[in-house]
Amino acid sequence: MNWNAVRTAVICAILIVLHYTVRPLLAWNVSIDFLIIALMFGAVRMRPGLAALFGFALGLVSDSLSPGAFGAAALGMSVVGFGASWLKAVFFADNLALNGFFIFLGKWIFDLIFVLVGHRMHGAELFMQIVVWSSLSAAMTAVAGILAVALLRPLMEVRTA
Amino acid sequence: MARATRLSSRIDFLLFIGCVIIALVTLVLPLQMREPLAEVLRRSVVAPLVNLQSNAERWHTAWQLSEERTARLDSAVMRGFNATALQTENDQLRKLLGLGARLHMGFVPAEAVHNAVREDVVTTLTLTAGTRAGIKVYSPVVSPEGVVGMVQTADPSISIAILFSHPDFRASAMSGDGSSFGIVYPHLRQGLGSSGEYLLELRNVPFRTALAPGTMIYTSGLGGTFPRGIPIGVVLRELKTAEGWTRTYLLQPSVNPAKVNAVMVLTPQRSPQRMDNVWQMVARVDSAAHGVVSAGDSIQRHATADSVRRVVGDSVRRAAGTARPDSAARTDSTPRHRAAPAAVADSTRPRRQTTDSSRPRPVRRDTVRRDSARRDSAARRDTNARRDTSARRDSVRPVRPDTMMHR
Repeated sequence: MNWNAVRTAVICAILIVLHYTVRPLLAWNVSIDFLIIALMFGAVRMRPGLAALFGFALGLVSDSLSPGAFGAAALGMSVVGFGASWLKAVFFADNLALNGFFIFLGKWIFDLIFVLVGHRMHGAELFMQIVVWSSLSAAMTAVAGILAVALLRPLMEVRTA
Repeated sequence: MARATRLSSRIDFLLFIGCVIIALVTLVLPLQMREPLAEVLRRSVVAPLVNLQSNAERWHTAWQLSEERTARLDSAVMRGFNATALQTENDQLRKLLGLGARLHMGFVPAEAVHNAVREDVVTTLTLTAGTRAGIKVYSPVVSPEGVVGMVQTADPSISIAILFSHPDFRASAMSGDGSSFGIVYPHLRQGLGSSGEYLLELRNVPFRTALAPGTMIYTSGLGGTFPRGIPIGVVLRELKTAEGWTRTYLLQPSVNPAKVNAVMVLTPQRSPQRMDNVWQMVARVDSAAHGVVSAGDSIQRHATADSVRRVVGDSVRRAAGTARPDSAARTDSTPRHRAAPAAVADSTRPRRQTTDSSRPRPVRRDTVRRDSARRDSAARRDTNARRDTSARRDSVRPVRPDTMMHR
């Protein structure tokens, strides 16, 4: 049995549960996207195709609760997951700041795709959402991602005989 | 190996492209086709997550409601505190309005500002009225309850008053019935009483006059600063002092200086006038009535004793056959028992005889016990007979409606 895969699955499941429990409790204007953290965390540990599928699944789950833009989150997360898996070499670098930056980038790209494809906003509102709110949300997600990676790293270390 | 790697890469890319295409297709699906798909997901895979989210949102809502309730409760408590403070201030101002109505003229209302420096014993107050309003140095400062202090410094717009707790405060005082006079000093030995109240001392009271606890003490008007008739306080007990020829009493002031917020400053044109009708010297009238009743009882006892002696003497003389009509007059030769001869003349009606034989002084008429109402009114007249006429009229004058209202 591939224990690394099991551990990754468990951690991703925990992060997904956190997304639907902690985020409503916090109810901040700039919220943490635990689904992106779970996606980035899982994507770097699987092949790009599987990462794209994982992102697509997470996106569908997210879209099911917001049918107005059904498919937008799936598209965004597929792109982010595939990209994160391609950049797994960067992710495995033992640098929390670099990990945080890529989580920030992943979240911001996801928001960009989601907003643009979903056709929810236009003009100045779209600009404010992308430049201000998405950036702030990406920063918050990056901070939470850094904490999560720092906490979970001991669990994910590969033990050699 | 390289071929396998290339194949894997192609598969990955194809999966990615497939995901993107499916996502784009779902995006362009019409709403009536997207909604069933989303509903299927919500009812199957996402259902546990939806439950988690709804529970979390319920917790969050409950938390917010709890905070709002706490905030509302705090606001209500704060409003309650403010309401109590406002009610207290309202009561004080109503009393002050009543005092102003009774004073009619010659007073300046002022707000009392306590010193910023916190004092254990409040000794001075800053008043928001000065010489422009007619206030001068030594102007009396009063409240609806009684004496507060006197103005020490008068500026054009403000003035500073020393309270009766100040070491320099003195006031000439008297008991309610005017039988005892003394000087009121602050009680400085302890500063505050056991219960934290301010106390005063009534010194130099003549040794022959004893004041019972509860006796009301008023300003006597002799000092020149305070008009006569302003309540100062109530006698608590006598203090033991080294001076054997005078008595000193501990007084509970009528006014608590720490709670004074608004006062009246009496202007010089009002100060010389008496205040007997302003604070309604009920205690003085009661005390006087009690004194008259006591005197009436004493006279009646003497008259009864004389009539008994007269009856016994008559009986003896009748029995001996040597009765002399004028013997009774000789028997009762004491001047203070002038009512006795008349009582002897008609022993069956001693009280009427006593009344008739006396001079037209109300005290003698008051010995008729059956008519208590007459006795009370006579008591008031008797009190008036011993004092100033105007004060008497004030003391028996019916309470004015506005005065009643402000009680």
